[in-house]
Amino acid sequence: MKKFMVLTVLVLALALAGVAGAAEVQGVTDTSIKIGQWGPQTGPAALWGAVARGTGVYFDLINSEGGINGRKIDYFLRDDGYNPNRTKAIAKELWEQEKIWGFACGVGTSPGMAVMPYITQNNIPWVGMATGSTHWAYPPKKTIFAVYPLYPDEAQILTSYAIDTLGKKKIAFFYQNDDYGKGGLEGAVRELKKRGMTLAADVPVEVGETDLASHVLKMKKAGADCVIMWVYPKHAAIVLGTAAKLGYKPQWMACSTLSDVALMFKITKGLWNGMIFGNFAELADSKAPLMVKYRAAQKKFAPKERWGVFFYAGFGFVEPMVEGIKRAGKDLSVDNFVKAMQSLKGFQGIMGPITYGPERRQGLKKIFLAKCVPATAEVQGKKITYGKGVRLSDWLGVD
Amino acid sequence: MLGQLIASGIAIGATYALMALAMVIIYKTSEVLNFAQGDMAMLSAFIAYMCLSTYGLGFAASFTLALAFAFALGAFLEFAFLRRAKEPNVLGLIIITLGLEMVLYGLASWRWGSDQKDFPFPVSDFEVHQLGGGVVISELNLVTLGVAFSLMILLFLFFRYTKVGVAMKATQQNQQAARLMGIRVGRIMMLTWGMSAVVGACAAFLIASTDTLDPNLMWTPQLKGFSAAVLGGMTSLVGAVLGGFILGVVENLFGGYVSVEFKAVVAFAVIVLILCVKPSGLFAKHYVRKV
Repeated sequence: MKKFMVLTVLVLALALAGVAGAAEVQGVTDTSIKIGQWGPQTGPAALWGAVARGTGVYFDLINSEGGINGRKIDYFLRDDGYNPNRTKAIAKELWEQEKIWGFACGVGTSPGMAVMPYITQNNIPWVGMATGSTHWAYPPKKTIFAVYPLYPDEAQILTSYAIDTLGKKKIAFFYQNDDYGKGGLEGAVRELKKRGMTLAADVPVEVGETDLASHVLKMKKAGADCVIMWVYPKHAAIVLGTAAKLGYKPQWMACSTLSDVALMFKITKGLWNGMIFGNFAELADSKAPLMVKYRAAQKKFAPKERWGVFFYAGFGFVEPMVEGIKRAGKDLSVDNFVKAMQSLKGFQGIMGPITYGPERRQGLKKIFLAKCVPATAEVQGKKITYGKGVRLSDWLGVD
Repeated sequence: MLGQLIASGIAIGATYALMALAMVIIYKTSEVLNFAQGDMAMLSAFIAYMCLSTYGLGFAASFTLALAFAFALGAFLEFAFLRRAKEPNVLGLIIITLGLEMVLYGLASWRWGSDQKDFPFPVSDFEVHQLGGGVVISELNLVTLGVAFSLMILLFLFFRYTKVGVAMKATQQNQQAARLMGIRVGRIMMLTWGMSAVVGACAAFLIASTDTLDPNLMWTPQLKGFSAAVLGGMTSLVGAVLGGFILGVVENLFGGYVSVEFKAVVAFAVIVLILCVKPSGLFAKHYVRKV
């Protein structure tokens, strides 16, 4: 009996020691936090890989100001080429070998979906994935916090703006035939249904398609006076060119994935003029103090980068994460961090108001609309025309 | 709508025809399907873009330089990689072209990044001509048609009436015999690759001016060009061009009247159908290898 008692005490003591050991959080020391991110730096989606580099510059800025609560951020960026298999390997490598604390952003729905089970299983903090899919926040998962507004919500806002403010009657929807495009379609149909209306035409496009004449003719034949698009930049450019050629001139509207207005104006040879589009972050030339500060950081740390929306979105998507780490204080255990994140109510950086709660993991539910207008600037003595956004609305949400 | 669908189909078909021509040239001499064709063309388009935008050269100079680059690239790839293959069979050579495709793609992504770029072109796609009945065709479409037809005729005459052209055909039919007859097979191959790359580059310039320029530019056009070549006959220049037009029109009619959603698979359905029904293609003589 005595032996048994001794054993029990020993086991208890060991268990306690174990708990004490666990209080040391992976990836965090008194002076550093290790944070990782994947993002396509090569391959077809590399345009959006700017997000991951933007995050890097944001962390440089924070480190140059002394870090968060005295801890500097150690940033691990890996290229997954938008290939979910590589994303899986990266997540495993960063968590098990580099021993990071958490993940920031991460571009793409399918790469994110590939690692979500692993991240949930291991209770790893993950904030601000750069995709508007509904999978992250519904159902809510303890350590996963989404920022990007949902595609269906955004499509609903664009649709109601077209009907209420622009007085459009026949709306067509031009979308990429996958999760991303269909998410938008769902929202537009939902909004129209509320009003007893239907789409004049819904026209899907496959990723590889390059000839869009029959697509445009279909919308033209349906007599749509407004077309909302949920596609890749390439298809947006081809469809506008084809429509211009075929003499079809509806009001065009576009998803926030196409909100890089300077780039879109350039690759559409000016046809982007007049486009009304959704925005999840301030416009590129915004005078908001944070935007001014971030732009200065870009000039200092990454002068070769283009100040496009996906680059500075890399700042915006992790702002709530940084705020959460700040609020969590010295104790960066997962539970404490989650509690701190849940205390964010209407937190605003360069994006719309972000709110989390015990059951709420979708941070941003609002977008604002802007319109593309031409502007001129002088570059090396040559006058050039470029496109810029002009704000049309305040932050709008759906009820 | 019918008229416009056909007109647009012919217009896009002209770009398929050009890609098909490029593939047929190489196939005609070596029976190798060149999977690097599209990316060789894409790289040439980037060279033209670099001359135009970075160095500010004129259109004539830029396009000439880029075409010269295309020729050199084609000849170099043949000389440096395909010719080095030991006891090559056709399949082995095709695999080499697949590898080259990946190298070229990586090279372009590394050098120019993957932001979409607008490709300047002297002819506008928005200046349109009325064909009657509300059917329009753009100036760029007309230029594309012109380029496709003139290249087809030039190549046809070249293969039929010049010594080198005949030597190319001889090389395809029997390499060993050709070599014994004093034809320098290696040089002929290099020349073929160079010519093919130039035709592909023409296609890439025309496609990039309506599309946006990025490393993925030629992926779809190459597949469509391949289907067009299979449709018309892999060994027939005229067949390849007509195959391009037929494919463009069929695709558009399918998209307009049957289903826009499944338009993208038409080209592949065409490949399967033709391979089952008439494997030599619609316009090529059935070719039986002499044993």
